[in-house]
Amino acid sequence: MRLKRFTYNFGCACVLSVAFAGAVVASPADELKAANQLYDAGKFSDAIAGYEKIEPKTATLFFNLGNACFREGQIGKAVLNFERARRLSPRDPDILANLKFAQQKLGVDELNAPTKAWQRFLRSAIDSRTPGEWRAFELTGIWLAALAIGLSLWLHRARTALMVVSVAAFAWSAAAAAALSYQAVGERAAPKAIILAKETAARFAPLPDATIHFKLGEGTAVSIYEDRGEWLYVERADGQQGWVKRDALARIAME
Amino acid sequence: MMACFCAVAARADVSVTASVDRNRVAFGESLTFTIAIQGTQSSAQPSVPAVDGLNFSGPSTQTTVSIVNGAMSQSLNLVYQITPTRLGEFTIPAVPVIVASKTYQTEPIKLMVTQGRVQEDLRQSLFAKVRLNSQQVYLGQTAPLTVVLFARANIPLKGVGAFTYEADGLGYRFLQNLKSGVNTINGEAFNIYLIEGAISPTRTGSLAFGPCAVKAQLAVQRHSSGGWPYGDSILDEMMGRVEVREVPVTIDPIPIEVLPLPEEGKPADFTGAVGQWNLEVTAKPTELAVGDPITLTMRISGSGNIDTVATPQLQGLDGFKTYDPTSKTTKDELSTTGERVFQQVLVPKSTEAKQLPQVRLSYFDPVAKAYKTAVQGPIHLAVKAGNGSSTAVLAAVTPVRPQEKLGRDIVYLKGDLGPVATMAWYDSAPTFWALNVLPIFSLLGLIAWKRRTDRLRGDVAYARRTRAAKNARKMLAETNSFDQVQHALQSYLGDLLNIPVSGITASIVDEQLVPLGLNGDLLTALKKCFEACDNARFAGVGNNEAEMRATANKVGELIDALEKIHL
Repeated sequence: MRLKRFTYNFGCACVLSVAFAGAVVASPADELKAANQLYDAGKFSDAIAGYEKIEPKTATLFFNLGNACFREGQIGKAVLNFERARRLSPRDPDILANLKFAQQKLGVDELNAPTKAWQRFLRSAIDSRTPGEWRAFELTGIWLAALAIGLSLWLHRARTALMVVSVAAFAWSAAAAAALSYQAVGERAAPKAIILAKETAARFAPLPDATIHFKLGEGTAVSIYEDRGEWLYVERADGQQGWVKRDALARIAME
Repeated sequence: MMACFCAVAARADVSVTASVDRNRVAFGESLTFTIAIQGTQSSAQPSVPAVDGLNFSGPSTQTTVSIVNGAMSQSLNLVYQITPTRLGEFTIPAVPVIVASKTYQTEPIKLMVTQGRVQEDLRQSLFAKVRLNSQQVYLGQTAPLTVVLFARANIPLKGVGAFTYEADGLGYRFLQNLKSGVNTINGEAFNIYLIEGAISPTRTGSLAFGPCAVKAQLAVQRHSSGGWPYGDSILDEMMGRVEVREVPVTIDPIPIEVLPLPEEGKPADFTGAVGQWNLEVTAKPTELAVGDPITLTMRISGSGNIDTVATPQLQGLDGFKTYDPTSKTTKDELSTTGERVFQQVLVPKSTEAKQLPQVRLSYFDPVAKAYKTAVQGPIHLAVKAGNGSSTAVLAAVTPVRPQEKLGRDIVYLKGDLGPVATMAWYDSAPTFWALNVLPIFSLLGLIAWKRRTDRLRGDVAYARRTRAAKNARKMLAETNSFDQVQHALQSYLGDLLNIPVSGITASIVDEQLVPLGLNGDLLTALKKCFEACDNARFAGVGNNEAEMRATANKVGELIDALEKIHL
């Protein structure tokens, strides 16, 4: 009798604990599903809140968050999240399409691109790979170069071919290293950000009454060159520079 | 019997004479003119004065040397061939001849060229004519003009040499490859050579073809005595009595009137075609669907210059999409006949295109001396509605569908969370740098090892020195007699100094190691080791296990000390 009661109590405790745990700790996939349902129901602000609390952040998550922001009318924030998604998955056609569409909607797609054709090409080539992929390319190249040189010490007949391979592999590695440096050093020296405010004045000095140099529209991409707390010194893709208020923008790379 | 006329001009023992083989000759024959210089074999070639009506060729030289009764005589003959070019009396003037800086003069020689039986016969037997359909031609017309060389059957005509002509403004061309054959005139057979050509006048007016000359190549007997000189019998050839001689046959100028194309009756669509042309027009297919292509072939052929024929103009092609026509031209070498085929692709735009229009070609017929227009067509078509399977041609002619304006929006949500990645990607991981450095150091190590391996393989002294201590220590570890101890020491020193092990003695130590800077204590210790080994081995002094081990340890310490100082 006691055994039966114990078994019953233990079983109930297990069921309740599992149920309680399931209710309290939902998986990220479930949370994403729930947020997507809110999106489908037209509750975009709730969907945004749902997406923002999900951890860890993935390209899909930023993509869906960008979509919800877009539907909510926060197109600048949509551009920001599409940019974040692109950094994680740079060749995803859906992400690229939505980013371009959102930028076009705000009229900043041309403004955010480098002015010269070769710069656009280079930027596009570098941004088409994640830093992890560039690292892999760089390591593959340098290992292949070292291997080819090492083999050439013994394989005298194939020395010419191996030297060609090593030079090519080294060049490949150097190119990958350059791209990686551009991404890493560039982001470290001048972090990229997106203007979220509808219109932001870029001033000649970090003062509220300083002369306005130019204005930055929502969704404009800028590079932050100096951080003075409330004020940030930014540069637009066309090279125009000015001071803007910190709360007018958000960095693409999350803290 | 050679007729001879001699003139002698003597100066000391040199004499110069001029002579001809005969001084009466029939027109058409040649004679020999010889300048004989006695008493020398060298002379500047004399300049024979030009004589109107006589053609000089040569000279050929003949030298002779003779010794009679011990007296030597020598002579030089300059032989010319003279061919009269007209009848009459001629005088070969005195010819100045310079011998040894002295000038000698020959005497003038008279010649008579008569119209003998031979020339009369030749003129009847060898002549040329021009064949031209009409002496009136039109500008743009191409008319055949052939020069025919006739030779009677008894004339041994071997071929035709140079052909020269004058044809200013006539644009005359002729074929280099001559045709030969036989032609009958008044029942008599003549051998003929045809120089086929054509004129294409470049300007209007009264022009002329000629004079022109054809050089007939005849077989001639070398030594004719005034009779019929022509012949090339096998016997003559075998006897060497035949040579080929070129006889010029001239043709007097022929007037040719070049007329401009008349303005009267010129069709509006006339584009400059002159000749006699036929026009054939075909179209394929004639049963087709809208959008299918039709190939319209217009074949123009006939006599005249085909290059003057332009693409026939087609009118009334509104119901068709047209493409630029292509053409292919074939013609003879003289452009007297030719054919040009035009092909044009037409695509019916609708079922209303029920026929291809007439094709017209207007040209000027120089024979009829009038403009003519060749007409072909119309060609009826059966065009049905297109079934949508037509190719790009159909797409090109069908009206362009209005551009559909597609809606645009953002791409819908994704359902899968996807792979997780960190945003702090620019922080370089230590592993990454280690993986970068590792291959470089590995490669450097590999290179160093390879170089060392190669050196060990190729440099015996280096290899022995490198392995000396290791080998000696190994031997010392396994030693159990003074012989082996000494051998280990000898082996070490031999490897160290790269000399044979058998030659290592205590005296060698002084000779080899002192110059290398070995200090006194080590030297002494080395010598003591050798001495201890020798005493034990040969005198039996201290030849026991303990002494042997002690000596071996000492040798080991010596090796360690020598390794440290890097000799």
